[in-house]
This record gives sequence, C-alpha cells and structure tokens, in this order.
Amino acid sequence: MGYVDVAGVRFTLPDGRVLLDDVSFRVGEGACAALVGENGAGKTTLLRIISGDLTPDGGSVARTGGLGVMRQFIGSVRDDTTVQRFLVDLAPPAVREAWDGVEAAELAMMEADDEPTQLAYASALGHWGDVGGYDVEVTWDTVTVAALGVPYDGCKYRELASLSGGEQKRLALECLLRGPDQVLLLDEPDNYLDVPGKRWLESRLIETRKTVLFVSHDRELLARVAGRVVTVEGGGAWVHGGDFASYPAARTARHERMADLRKRWDEEHERLIDLVRTLQQQAKNSPDMAARYHAMQTRLAKYEAAGPPPDRPPDQHVAMRLRGGRTGVRVIVAEQVELTGLMQPFDLDVDYGDRVAVLGSNGAGKSHFLRLLAGQDVAHTGDWRLGARVVPGFFAQTHAHPEWLDRTLVDLLWHGEPGRPGVDRGRAMATLRRYGLAAQGDQLFRSLSGGQQARFQVLLLELSGATLLLLDEPTDNLDVLSAESLEEALGAFDGTVMAVTHDRWFARTFDRFLVFGSDGRVYEAPEPVFDEARVQRTR
Amino acid sequence: MTLALLPGTVSDASVDQAVSRLVVEFGQRLDQQVVVGVVRSCREDLSGTPADALPELVERLARYRLDPAGD
Ligand SMILES: Nc1ncnc2c1ncn2[C@@H]1O[C@H](COP(=O)(O)OP(=O)(O)OP(=O)(O)O)[C@@H](O)[C@H]1O
Ligand SMILES: [Mg+2]
Repeated sequence: MGYVDVAGVRFTLPDGRVLLDDVSFRVGEGACAALVGENGAGKTTLLRIISGDLTPDGGSVARTGGLGVMRQFIGSVRDDTTVQRFLVDLAPPAVREAWDGVEAAELAMMEADDEPTQLAYASALGHWGDVGGYDVEVTWDTVTVAALGVPYDGCKYRELASLSGGEQKRLALECLLRGPDQVLLLDEPDNYLDVPGKRWLESRLIETRKTVLFVSHDRELLARVAGRVVTVEGGGAWVHGGDFASYPAARTARHERMADLRKRWDEEHERLIDLVRTLQQQAKNSPDMAARYHAMQTRLAKYEAAGPPPDRPPDQHVAMRLRGGRTGVRVIVAEQVELTGLMQPFDLDVDYGDRVAVLGSNGAGKSHFLRLLAGQDVAHTGDWRLGARVVPGFFAQTHAHPEWLDRTLVDLLWHGEPGRPGVDRGRAMATLRRYGLAAQGDQLFRSLSGGQQARFQVLLLELSGATLLLLDEPTDNLDVLSAESLEEALGAFDGTVMAVTHDRWFARTFDRFLVFGSDGRVYEAPEPVFDEARVQRTR
Repeated sequence: MTLALLPGTVSDASVDQAVSRLVVEFGQRLDQQVVVGVVRSCREDLSGTPADALPELVERLARYRLDPAGD
C-alpha cells in the first residue's frame, strides 16, 4: 500500500508565469482520487512533479509504495518504440535496470565471445532472475494476451506505433494494474479507449486496492470511479472529499464563498481608505486626531500587506467556429470499399449536411478509413470518391506533426500551409483568444498541454475552409467546456461531418451511426452501438 | 535455485549434456576427464545463472576454455 502527500508545491513556467502555487493535498492508502481542471491548468505538470520528472520551485512531495506512471501521450506514440521496450519502461526501476544490463551484455556477446563477456552475460541474467525478471515476463505475457490477444513472444518486437491508440492505452493499463507498483498516476487513461474498454477501466479502478490518482475529463468515468476530487484551478488546488455526483455543487459553493470573502475584503478595504481620508482632514486642525490618523494609516497598511483572499477563478471562454460551405449533395460515395485485412467490403453514401458517427471497437479500422477519405495512402480495394466542392479537413490527435513541434502558434498561423491561408498576427491572436490560447501564442507547439494542442488543431480546421470534417476522436484531451464548444461549433457547421468517437455523450449529437463490427462487418445502425452484445440507447 | 552444491559434486543436466557433446568435439585431442573437469568448473563459475539459460552458457564457456583460440 502507498500514499502521496503533496505539500506547498510551487511551480513557475519557463516564461515566468506561476502555474502552481501552494498546492497541497494527500491521496491516502487505497484511495482513488480524480485530478480535474481545465486544459492547461497544470494537471500533467503536477503529476510530473509527483513522479519526480520535474522539480518544484517550492514545497515537497512525500510518497511510499512503488510508483507506476501512465503518461497522457500514450496512445499517440509514433516513434520506433517496441512493445517490449514499452513494457520495460513501465516496470519498476530495478527491473528496468536489470533489463538494460541484460541487453547490454547481449550486445557485447555479439561483439566478443571471450570469457569475461560470457561471465558478464551470465551475471546479468542472474541479476535479471534476482529482481524477479522471470516473473515479470510471465506477467507481460498475461498483459499482452489481455490487451492484444497475443502472447508476449508474438508481439514483443512489434512497434508500438502499429497499435491503435486504444490498444496502446490498454497495454499500459493492464501492465500497471497487474504490476507491483502500489501507487498509480494515470494521466487521461480513458482517452482512445473504446466503450467496452472504458467500462473495463471503470471496473478495474473500482476493484483495485492500489492508490490511484487519475486525470480525466470523462464525466461518466469520474462519476463511477472517483472517491474524491482534486481540482487544479486558479493556480492552486483544492480537494472535494466526496464523489463526483456532489462535486459540481461543492465547486459552486466554494466559488461563491471565495467571491463572498473577496467582496467583504474589498468592502473593508474601502471603509479603511475612507476612514484614513476623513481622519486626514480632521488631523489638520487637531493634534489628537493626528495620532488617530497615523494609527489608521498603519492599520490600512497592515491590511493591504496581508493581501486580499484569492478571488474565484475566472470562467474560461472557448468559442470554436467552423464555417464550411455549400457542396454538392453527394459528399462521399463508396462502393465495395475494403481496407485490406481489416473489414469486409461495404457501400456508403453520405450526403451534404449529414452527421455521421463512426463507432466500433479499438483496432477495427475506423481511423484507417478516415485517413483514406482524407486522401492519405491506405491500402484498400473498391472505389470511393468525394462530391463537387467537397474539401476534406482531417483532424487526428494521434497523427504526429514533427514539423510543428518547434514553432510557435503565431508562426504556424502566419505561414499557413497548402489549403490554409496564412493570417497576420492580429487575426491570429484574435482567433487564439477565442480558443482560450491567447497566452500561448508565442509558445512552441511542443510545450502546449494535451488539450491545448487539441484545441489548436480544431482552430486550424476553422481556418482551412474545409467543407467535410473528418474527425478522429476529437473530444479526447479536451476539457468539458471545450468539448461542449466543439459540439456547438459542429452544430453550426455548414457542411458534412464524419467523426470516429468513443465518447458516449458526444456520439449522441450525431444522426447517423456507422458501426465497424468486431466480426469485420461494417453496417449502419439507427442508434449508437457501443459494444458487440447489445444496442444501447444513449441517455 | 540449487546453487549451494560443493565444488566437484556439481552434476546436473546442463553438465551432462555439455560433457557428452564436447567429448565428441574434443575427444580426439583431450582426455575425457579433462573435458568433465572444465565443464564442472564452468558450471560452478556460472552458478547464479538462471536454470533455463544454464545448459547453453555452460557449454559455450566450456568450449571457449577448451579451445581459447576458437575455430
Ligand atoms: N515552455 C513553456 N513555456 C510556457 N508555458 C508552458 C511551457 N511548457 C508548458 N507550459 C504551459 O503549462 C501549462 C500546464 O500544462 P499541463 O500540461 O500541466 O496542463 P494540463 O492541466 O495537463 O492540461 P490538459 O488538460 O490539456 O492536459 C499549460 O498552459 C502550458 O501551455
Ligand atoms: Mg495534461
């Protein structure tokens, strides 16, 4: 068993802004606590401070029990990491070290076969055994079978990038939940998971006796799992000791209390200033009053030095706008399309104005289909075409954009790209402001939080003039308010929308449902279908 | 793991297998007792190695010691 104790943590960003100030909370043994807050509030930063990746400018973190960490960007890994390396990196430090020792010794054996090298290899293997490496390999086997349906030996050299986002997440979660670490930090573990996957995660988090601190924007998951809620907002953090059902009321009450305290402080401040002014006048003709005047001045100074209580955090504003434009009536016509090896051939007609949700389990080929329509190179048979004036705009958070990483947002907007005209700084800043990204204008893309990156990608769609939106899991990473804003923007969009989603609440806003069945059949359903066994009506 | 065996008494599958193969390989040049001795000492030096990997490593090390020049 383990716990996490965060005390008085302060963290300043490279540009000098204070992101976190005096953050204190505790996650006790066996507790399952949610960490919530808007995009960019500092949740990931806080988890990185707890895990020791970042050093705070003040305060301290105490914890016991081994620590397992799942990062937000798992699911969009696009480098050449293998499944094996990924599992090794999720293992406790001693296992990781022993593994690296074995690998180094193996390499040395390829170079030289002399006695010291052989003995070093034998001793590395011995060390691997001592740290429980052979048991770990048995666990990995269970993990890959559970997550991917393949034994460890059958997939260890597979590149992680070849797994779908949901499969990557599932692999990490199986590994951490079955592993020895007693404290788990999970940064948006539910992103990219299909609905059965989300339900599985919910039940595992409820069952586990480990101590868990997890970030999520999914209200359904929060409602089912969180026993307490830590909120990062306004540069600080506060804890709601109850579950998520009672959280909104607690937060409102807290904000009202803060506003009230602040109002009282301001009123008292006004009163003291008035008193000082009055006494100053009276002091001119009375030495007695002069003494009272000075005393009152001191009192005011002390009051001001103590400072006002923090005001309630400002409401954030996000107003996404997607314009679109009139196209031909037939938008997508597909005949007997089959993505090689992923599904059986199917026909599809999508008309102007349709809102099509693409549903189905992880790894069914939904993302590949969207990429095909976006004009990317995807192996397939059968015919498909887009109608007149249909300009596809593609959005996928799992798509790596290495060319964006080291450029600022204003710069990316200024230069534009094929199909998206550049805009000047004034227009760029005005648009960024509507997306709650005004403060990030001169930041490098790589330094944005996960949700800020997602918002920026929607912003690029806005500027692109697309008339067919192809969205792959657009609400993942977005905070609740941004997801609502996206939903509104899609409602007002003049054009056609096709979105892959596992977000039960978002799916409800669509009017056609294309299901990629796990048996390889692609069919249309009158209602959202969230798992094989049954068809469910959304709330 | 059964590593607490006394020197000279080590005798297990990894030793037996290595001995029979190496005797075929080196029997022309070396006395069988020499091969057995080298294999046993290799097995001792490799104590602490996981059982699964032992046969291969014992044989490999013994081959190296019996014929340091390599072929
Ligand atoms: N180098 C930097 N310069 C300035 N600001 C930075 C830099 N690196 C990170 N930030 C900012 O730090 C803030 C906190 O980021 P963090 O990733 O912790 O947010 P988060 O709460 O996890 O958000 P999300 O819900 O989007 O994942 C963001 O506003 C981000 O833009
Ligand atoms: Mg984050």
